[in-house]
Amino acid sequence: MICLAGHQLAKNFLDSDQVIHVLSGTDIIVNQSELVCITGQSGCGKSTLLHILGLLDAPDSGTIELFGKEINSNSPDAAHIRNRDMGFVFQFHYLIEDLNAQENVAIPAMIAGESRQKSMNRATEILHLFDMDHRIGHYPNQLSGGEQQRVSLARALINNPKIVFADEPTGNLDPQHSLEVWQNIQKLNQDFGYTFVIVTHDSELANSSPIRYELKNGILVRNN
Amino acid sequence: MRFTILEKFYISKYLRDPRRYLLRFNYVFMILGIVISVGILSAGLNLFEGYQRTLKSLLLDSIAHVSIFSSNSEYIPISEANRLKTVLQAHKEVTAAVPVITSSVMAQKAGAVRGCFLKAYDKNESTFSKYVVSGSPKLETDNIIIGYHLAKEFNLVVNDTLSIIFPQMNRITALGLYPSERQYSISGIYKSGYYEYDRSIVICDFETAGNLLLTEDRVSKIEISLLPQFTNQTEKIQSTLESELGDDYIVTAWTENNAGLFRLITLEKWLIFIVFSFLVLIAGLNVVSAVSTSIVDMSSEIAILRTVGAGTVTITRIIYSRIAVIGLFAVLIGQILGAGLSYLAIKQSIYTLKGDVYFIDKLTIFISPTNQIVIFFVAAVIILLCIRIPLRNIRNMQIIDVFRRN
Ligand SMILES: Nc1ncnc2c1ncn2[C@@H]1O[C@H](COP(=O)(O)OP(=O)(O)OP(=O)(O)O)[C@@H](O)[C@H]1O
Ligand SMILES: [Mg+2]
Repeated sequence: MICLAGHQLAKNFLDSDQVIHVLSGTDIIVNQSELVCITGQSGCGKSTLLHILGLLDAPDSGTIELFGKEINSNSPDAAHIRNRDMGFVFQFHYLIEDLNAQENVAIPAMIAGESRQKSMNRATEILHLFDMDHRIGHYPNQLSGGEQQRVSLARALINNPKIVFADEPTGNLDPQHSLEVWQNIQKLNQDFGYTFVIVTHDSELANSSPIRYELKNGILVRNN
Repeated sequence: MRFTILEKFYISKYLRDPRRYLLRFNYVFMILGIVISVGILSAGLNLFEGYQRTLKSLLLDSIAHVSIFSSNSEYIPISEANRLKTVLQAHKEVTAAVPVITSSVMAQKAGAVRGCFLKAYDKNESTFSKYVVSGSPKLETDNIIIGYHLAKEFNLVVNDTLSIIFPQMNRITALGLYPSERQYSISGIYKSGYYEYDRSIVICDFETAGNLLLTEDRVSKIEISLLPQFTNQTEKIQSTLESELGDDYIVTAWTENNAGLFRLITLEKWLIFIVFSFLVLIAGLNVVSAVSTSIVDMSSEIAILRTVGAGTVTITRIIYSRIAVIGLFAVLIGQILGAGLSYLAIKQSIYTLKGDVYFIDKLTIFISPTNQIVIFFVAAVIILLCIRIPLRNIRNMQIIDVFRRN
C-alpha cells in the first residue's frame, strides 16, 4: 500500500540574482512500512525535498499524497497532518531547551489534545523503549548527542505517525552513537512497521537499507 | 478565554518555576522600566491623594461647615444667638453651633504690622482647644491665643505681649482714622496645620473682643459644625435651615466658597495621572523591543512547536502569557515601589511644601485602593497592548528559514 507519493516536485530558490534549481520535477513513492534512504551530494537538495514532503515548505509545482489523499503545506490542516500523521527527526536534534526529555516528547501529544497526564505517561513509555528511563527528567543540555537524538525519535513517534522523516539523524554523532540510533530506527521499522524516509550522508548506513535513492540534478534515482 | 492543553501546560510551568522561565536577561530592562514608571505614577498619585485628603480634612476641621448671619444687620444679639444655638443643636446632623465674633484686625510688634483674623468665642467654648499646642486653651479676658506661624514670624512665645489694632471707620478724626489699639498677653499658641489659619488667627473671648471692637452683647455669626458624613451634603441642610429660620437669617455653607478649590485639585490629580501615564507608555516601548528580541531568541522553539503541529495562535498565546505574567508582576512591584517612594518623600526633610502656596506645609500620603486599581488597569492595558505588537511577527515566521539559519 502506498503511504506517501510525490509527483513532479519542483523547487527553485532565488539567491540574490541567480536561480538555483534544486528539484526539477522528481517523483517518489514510499510504501507503508518501508524504510527509504536518500543520499546525495551536499547541497543537492535532500533537506529541501524532505521539508516539502513533510509540509514544512511548499514546492513550486507538483503534488503530494498521503494514503491517496492530496495534502498541501498551505492548507489549513497542514499543522494537523504534521502533528497526527508525521514525525520529524533532524540532524541538530531540535529539542526545546527549557523542557526536560519527558516534556519534549509529550508536546506533540498535548498538541493533539491528549491530557497532560496521559501525554506524560505515554512519553515515559516511549522513552523506556529507547532505554532512557533514567533520563526523563533531564534537560537537553544534560544529555549526550545520542541521547538527544533518541529523545527526538521518541517525540516523532508519540502520536503513532503514518510516516517519519529523518534528516541526517546520525550526522552529528560519533560512530558508536550513530550505530545505536540506526539500530533503533531499524527496529522500529521491522518490529513495529513504522514507515521512514531518511536522508543520510553515511553510505555505510545507507547500504544496509533495502531501498535507496540518490538525488542527482534535482531528480531521485533508485540505487538498488 | 479557554486555554488549550499545551497553553495550560506552559502557563503552569511558568508559574511553578518563574526563576527559570521569566527572570531572563532579556526581560530585566523591560521589568525595570515598568517598575520605575509605575512606581513614579503610583508615588505621585499617593502624594497627591494625601495632599487632597489632608487639605480637605484640615479645612473641614478648622472652618465652619455652615454659618448663620443676620440678614438685616451686621450682628446678632447674644441672647438671640443663644436661642438659635439651642434650636440648631437639636438637628441630628449638627455637632456644634457656636456663636462667634469675627473681624479683620492688625497685629503689631516692634514696628512690623500684619493683617490678622480675630475670632472671639464664649469664655467656656472649647471647640478650638485641641489645636492649642502650647500655653493654655482656656480663654481669659485680655489674653489671646495666636496662630503658630504668626508667633513664629513675630518671634513670640507664651506670656509675651502683642498689640492688636482695630481701625474704626466710625471714629474718623481730624488726624485721620483713629484706631483702637490694645496690648494683650499671649496665653496660647494655635496650630491647626492649615497654613492660612495658623498665619493669621487671633483668638479671644467675647469680652476682650467687645472692648477692642467696641461692641457689646452681640456676635457676628453662628458657626455650625456637622457630623463628618454630612459635610458633603451641605445644600440639603442649608435649605432646611433657611426655611426653618426664615428671612431674618442668611445661611451659607463651606462648599460655596471652597468647592472650586477641590474641583481644581481633583483636576490636577488626574492631570498628574495622565502625565505620569506617559512614563508607562515609554516603558511600553521598552516592552516592544524586549518582546521582539525574545521572539528571535525563541525562534527555534517556535519552529519546533510549529513543526510538530502547534498553530501560530497557540504559540502566540504561550509567549503572550509568559511575558504578560512578567509584565503584570512588574506593575505590582511598581505599585509597591510607589508606596515606598511616597513614604520616603514624606520622611525626607530636604523638600517641604510652601505653606502660603499649598495651604499646608507637610507632605502626607494616602494609598487609595481605587487609585491603585486604576493604576493597575491603565498600566496593564498599556503593557499588554505593547506585548501584542511584536507578537504579530510570529505569524509570518517561516519554519524553514529558522532551521536554515541554525
Ligand atoms: N531559502 C533558500 N534560499 C536560497 N537558497 C536555498 C534556500 N534553501 C536552500 N537553498 C539552497 O538549495 C540548495 C539545496 O539545499 P539543501 O539544504 O536542500 O541541500 P542538502 O542536500 O540538504 O545539503 P546538505 O547535505 O549539506 O544538508 C543549496 O544550494 C542551498 O544553498
Ligand atoms: Mg541537508
